[in-house]
Amino acid sequence: MSLFDVIFYLFAAFTLASAALMVVSKNIVHSAVGLLFSFFGVAGIYVLLAADFLAVVQVLVYVGGILILLLFGVMLTQRITSVDMRTGTLQLVPAILAVAGIFVILFRVIRTTSWNIVPEAEAQFIPTAEKIGYLLMTDFLIPFEIVSVLLLAALIGAAFIARKGT
Amino acid sequence: MNPSEIIQNNINSLSYFLPELILTGMIVVLIIADLLLKKENSAWTSLLALGGLVIAFVAVLNQYDLGSRSIFNDMLAVDPFALYFKLLFLTSAAFVVLLSIGSVELAGRPVGEYFTLMTALTLGLFLMASATNLITIFISIEFVSVTSFILATYLKTRRRSSEAGLKYTIYGAFSSGLMLYGISILYGLTGTLDIYEIGTKLAASSANSLALLISIILMLAGFGYKLAAVPFHFWAPDVYEGAPTPITAFFSVGPKAAGFALLIRFFNVAFATEATNGEWAAIAGVNWSQLLAVVAAATMTLGNLVAIVQKNVKRLLAYSSIAHAGYALMGVVLLSDQGVYATLFYLVVYYLMNIGAFLVVIVVQDLVGSESIDDYKGLIWRAPLPAIAMGVFLFSLTGLPPTAGFIGKFYLFAALIKGGPGFYWLAVVAIINSVISLYYYARILKAMYFDQQDEKEPASLAVSPYYVVLLIALVVPTIFLGVYWAPLADLANYSVEFLRAL
Repeated sequence: MSLFDVIFYLFAAFTLASAALMVVSKNIVHSAVGLLFSFFGVAGIYVLLAADFLAVVQVLVYVGGILILLLFGVMLTQRITSVDMRTGTLQLVPAILAVAGIFVILFRVIRTTSWNIVPEAEAQFIPTAEKIGYLLMTDFLIPFEIVSVLLLAALIGAAFIARKGT
Repeated sequence: MNPSEIIQNNINSLSYFLPELILTGMIVVLIIADLLLKKENSAWTSLLALGGLVIAFVAVLNQYDLGSRSIFNDMLAVDPFALYFKLLFLTSAAFVVLLSIGSVELAGRPVGEYFTLMTALTLGLFLMASATNLITIFISIEFVSVTSFILATYLKTRRRSSEAGLKYTIYGAFSSGLMLYGISILYGLTGTLDIYEIGTKLAASSANSLALLISIILMLAGFGYKLAAVPFHFWAPDVYEGAPTPITAFFSVGPKAAGFALLIRFFNVAFATEATNGEWAAIAGVNWSQLLAVVAAATMTLGNLVAIVQKNVKRLLAYSSIAHAGYALMGVVLLSDQGVYATLFYLVVYYLMNIGAFLVVIVVQDLVGSESIDDYKGLIWRAPLPAIAMGVFLFSLTGLPPTAGFIGKFYLFAALIKGGPGFYWLAVVAIINSVISLYYYARILKAMYFDQQDEKEPASLAVSPYYVVLLIALVVPTIFLGVYWAPLADLANYSVEFLRAL
């Protein structure tokens, strides 16, 4: 096992453990913290894969923006911590069987497929921010613009739903 | 290509993007108009929205001279196939705007955001019909989803509407996640996001068929969610029941048709190779047309069986629209031009009769204040016109002559039989399902025509002239297309043509 593999599995285990904490925890603040570490773990994997821009965005947007906002929301909402959340387990045996089946299939797929992999010689670290910037203004201009209209619509909707009255 | 060529391509593409630009402009105009108009004049926004749809309609008609081409560096396609769907979206959106103007349910609620979001939803549908890259495919699906979530929850003071929005969002997020995973597997196999390149790469190499199958199933989650096909239909009944009825009518037509457009284009470009005479062959290793056939059979059977026990007409129509997605899918599994042609024809027919049925639901809701089948009792004596119109729409939904629904189903069955014995079983399933559907549609008919009304109900109900005009505007084509369908058939036949390769 190379150093790369060791670091990858460390980050992956860290991400999964925090995600599990987030799902299992009965306390909503603990869940939020679990989510926080899970996001950090994913950012670590991005760094490992030389996706520097993505890693920074992951930390800035998810950890810095969304999650902090979520935590504020939780803490400013009165009595939300004492809300009785249903985290009980239903249909344990069928769920385990289904998940195990899917796991086996996906594991087989991942192991046996000849993936379209970039040769290791080319996979060296090149800063990606500039390239992404170029692509957003050339090849991916229209998806970029569509997303901006989508965000406008989402903003209008969010303002409408959050407003008092009808 | 070097950057300046790509930029030049983007600039040149703008002129082929005019209908979408008009809709985008309308979104902004509607927001500003809503700010400027006084509250009592806010109804003008509906006319503005309608005007925008009409202008976009003219722009789409003008695009018929352009032929087929790929725009914005192969992100979107402009071809007769996309234009057919765009016309369908615009006319159904216009009908829904007209339905919304009269709706008592929406009276007294802010309309500016409503029509803004509806224009945005139409724009999303446009993009779904023309997307040719996995990124635009995903973004356009999300575009339609996000605007739909908000419109579903528009009556936010009503519990059912909030529930509808939340359920729609959760199922939407779940199926988007599955679809993204499918996209990532497909990208891992081919190393490209362009569906034409995926098609050529998959045809050239023998990719691992298990990985490909998993990827196809996962991507079907995204398409199936938009079609409300089994097993991704769970959201449909609750959302259809809780959303404002005009929006329900739109959900059952617009996003469903857009899902079909995307499904047909994506599967036939990426996972099939053209053989001869408008018939294609699925790529080696994965028999996805059989998979779709099973989905179609399950969808129509489940939709029809569950519809039998429904007591709420809106919910019943929700299950019936699930079943109709199953019928329309029959044309897609055939891998032939004739199958696609039958599906295209059926979608327009389905849109007329389904919006019509929902219009009657709105009329009755305004008159009686209920959507329960019990309150349809003796409707023929109290409000003859809506009752007769409902009769026509239900006959058409069942597929009885001389209505458009009969011709639509006829084309589907004809295509299935011509497709060879491989899919005879699907035709048998569809016929059995049509019989089942007759049973529950007849329940509404029986309540309207033969059951006695309760004595305390008023003897007759006055239907506003506005609704009378709308009802006639939908009944006439439903019958007319059952007698003289050649123009629509010609248009559908012409629209089978989509951009197969660059």
